[in-house]
This record gives sequence, structure tokens and C-alpha cells, in this order.
Amino acid sequence: MKKGTIIIIAAAVVVLILFFWVKGSYNGLVKADEQVSASWAQVENVYQRRADLIPNLVATVKGYAEHESSTLESVMEARSKATQLTVDPSDLSEESIAEFQRAQGELSQALGRLLMITENYPDLKASQNFRDLQAQLEGTENRITTERMKFNEASRAYNTMVRSFPRNIIASMFGFGTKGYFEATEGAETAPKVEF
Amino acid sequence: MPGKFSRYCVTALLIMAYTVCNAIPPRPVPPRLVNDFAGIFTAREALHLEQMLTAFDDSTSNQIAVITTTDLEGLTPAEYATRTGLEWGIGSEKYDNGIVVLVKPKTYSSNGQVNISVGYGLEGAIPDAYAKRIIDNEMIPHFAEGDYFGGVAAGCTTLMKLASGEISEPEETGSIGVVLMMLIMCIIAVIFFTAVARSSGRNNRGGNNGTKGGGDILDAIIIGSLLSGGNHRSGSGWGGSGGGFGGFGGFGGGSFGGGGASGSW
Repeated sequence: MKKGTIIIIAAAVVVLILFFWVKGSYNGLVKADEQVSASWAQVENVYQRRADLIPNLVATVKGYAEHESSTLESVMEARSKATQLTVDPSDLSEESIAEFQRAQGELSQALGRLLMITENYPDLKASQNFRDLQAQLEGTENRITTERMKFNEASRAYNTMVRSFPRNIIASMFGFGTKGYFEATEGAETAPKVEF
Repeated sequence: MPGKFSRYCVTALLIMAYTVCNAIPPRPVPPRLVNDFAGIFTAREALHLEQMLTAFDDSTSNQIAVITTTDLEGLTPAEYATRTGLEWGIGSEKYDNGIVVLVKPKTYSSNGQVNISVGYGLEGAIPDAYAKRIIDNEMIPHFAEGDYFGGVAAGCTTLMKLASGEISEPEETGSIGVVLMMLIMCIIAVIFFTAVARSSGRNNRGGNNGTKGGGDILDAIIIGSLLSGGNHRSGSGWGGSGGGFGGFGGFGGGSFGGGGASGSW
């Protein structure tokens, strides 16, 4: 009888410890997961900000450089492709981030070509409207760099949590997968160079 | 699966190496707003700027940090300024109202570069286009003539005008609290001073001259200012500001999103 009580108490203690450990690990994972989602929302935000600038930029350039319609069209096309592609924040796998990055990278390249041809139009370059747009575009590229950096940091913190022992047991039990990163080199190559 | 694993490891390592390599200067101790690592200001100029920016921080809680460097560590000026702003936590945590003014002076072999990075909370007051105009119209013309102080002062003056239109919170503790604290401190100082004067007066009767009393006044003031500097601003963890003799109270943990503008000459 006495022995049975001890066993019951011991079992209860073990169950209780286990419960709190699982609870702590699980809640920690949820918190880190939310952090990654929030960072991702910021990333999409700043890319959207860039997409919102483009119609204005294209209209301004069109006023000075009518003959460059093919370049302007390719920018608008890349823009619509890039804005159509959204990533489900619950599925931030390496593949989906790479796809997102590719679509945005194409837009970056199209924008880079557009900014290159503006070099040939001194009137355009001198207009205050265009200069302001350029400043905004440059600021937005910096925001993209910053938010991508923050996303990578959040993602790294989350992945470390998911993959380190013993929390990885809880992670696999409740289906917490690892998240992807932005590849730094690709972005650096495709970011349009804004020269003044 | 092992391929994926090693890839993650490599990425993580790269990120770690990246953060280690691109060393942002450590947060200054004691905290100050003008960090002239490139040595382009004279001591008087730096002091003048520091006082101007500290007064602005005290009256509006907006923090403008001026940083000069000769080496951007391979980063763009915008990245360097944003990372420093994040690392140091310039601006308050509540408002994210920090600004970094970064200057890399021109040398024989490289262009001069300047950047204004604006914290999240001030992006509305200082849009990128405005920051760009400040750089182009007010800073670079001075810089091109070698007048770094003039350019930075002119830029900061305009930034202060713009920023105070958006966030203007005199002191986080509230004005009544400040007045009350000053009052209490004054009373303590008076009591302290009277007691000291009385006791030294007694000692001086022995035929000593009055210099000791002067020292005690100084002691009282110093102790008074130490008391006032104690726990003025909650949450900053860097001691107080605006107490006895002023001085910058410390960075508050503001965040940056990459807004602002850059220029070169």
C-alpha cells in the first residue's frame, strides 16, 4: 500500500515535469515561429512598397523617354509576375523563398535596365520628380536589405531551436519544420545600382 | 537529407562569419551622440554638436547620432548606418525615433560618402526624398569644401526641425515628475549644504581661512548631481540625463528598417 503510493507520487511528479517541459518547449517554438512569420510579413511589405513605386516611376520615365516602351513594358510585366507570387507564411520552405526571390530578382533586373536607360535622358535625370522617385527607390532597396537580414536572423534563431536536442523531439512531434533563408549573393547581384 | 543539413550548416556559418567580419563599432561607453571615429571634427566642434543633439534628445526624445568612420567595412553606407543604429539601439524603444548621420570623409583614393538612416518611427516625418534633399542641398556642398562640421550641423538642424514635427515628447517620466524631483533635489542640496557649512564654520573658528567651505559647496553640488543622475529615465539602463549638468543619457533601443538616403561626392 505504502509502496504503491510512492510509485503513484513519483509517476505524478515525472508526468508533471514532462508536461512543463513539453509546454515550455512547445510555446518557445510557437513564439519563434510567430517571429519568423512577422519578419516575413515585413519582407513582403517592403517588396510591395517597391512594387507600388514602379507605376509612378514608369509614368515619369515615359514622359521623357517615349521610345523606350519595350523596357518599360518589361518592367511592368516583371512587376505583375512578382506581385502575383505570394508565399504562404506557414510554408516558408527553402524552395518557396527561392522562388519568391527569383521573381523579385527578375523585377530588380528589369528595374536596373530601366535606370540604365535613364542615363541617356538628362532632362529626366534633372527633374525633381524623378530624383525623388530615385531616392525612394533607393531607400526601398535598403529596406529590403534590412528586412531580409532581419528575416534571416529570425529564421536562424527558429531553426536552431527546431534542430537542437532535446527540443527537436517536440518539434518533430508537433510538425515544426525548418525555414529557409534568403541567399545573400543572389540579391547583391541583382539589386539595381542607383547612381547619382 | 544530409545534403540539406550541410547546406543549412554552411548558411548558418556564413551568416555568423558575416556578422563577425563586418564589425560595427561597439556602443560607446559612456554613451554619446557624436562619435567621431574618423577624427574630422575639432574637440570644440564635437562638443558643440554633442550639446545641440543632447538638448534635442532631452526636449523631444528624438535621438540623432552622428558617426564618422574612415572604413565602411565593405558595407554600403546605408547598411553600415542601419546596422549601427540597430546594434546601438538609437532612439527610444517606444517610438523608434532614432536617426543616424554617417559620414565617411573623402580621401585621395575614395569618394566621400554620407548617409542619413531614419528609424521606423520617423519615416513619416523624414521621407527618403527629404533625406536625399538634405544630403544634396545642405550637407554635400559643405563637405565638398572640406567643411565637415558645417555640413553635419546644417543637416542636423533640418533633421531636428522635421523630426520634432512628428514626435515631441519632452521627457518620458513626465514634466510633473521632473519638476518634483528637481524640487526634492534642491531641498536635499540645501539641507546638505547648510549642514556642511555649519560644521565647517565651527571648524573654521580655529583660525583657518575660507577655502574649505568652497570645497564643500563643490562637494554638495557634485553629490547633488550624482543623486539626480541616478534613476531618471526608466528602461534605458544607462543612467539618467538632464540632471545636474546635462549630458546624454543613453540609447533607448530603437529599431531601424533601412529608411533614409545616401549620397557621395
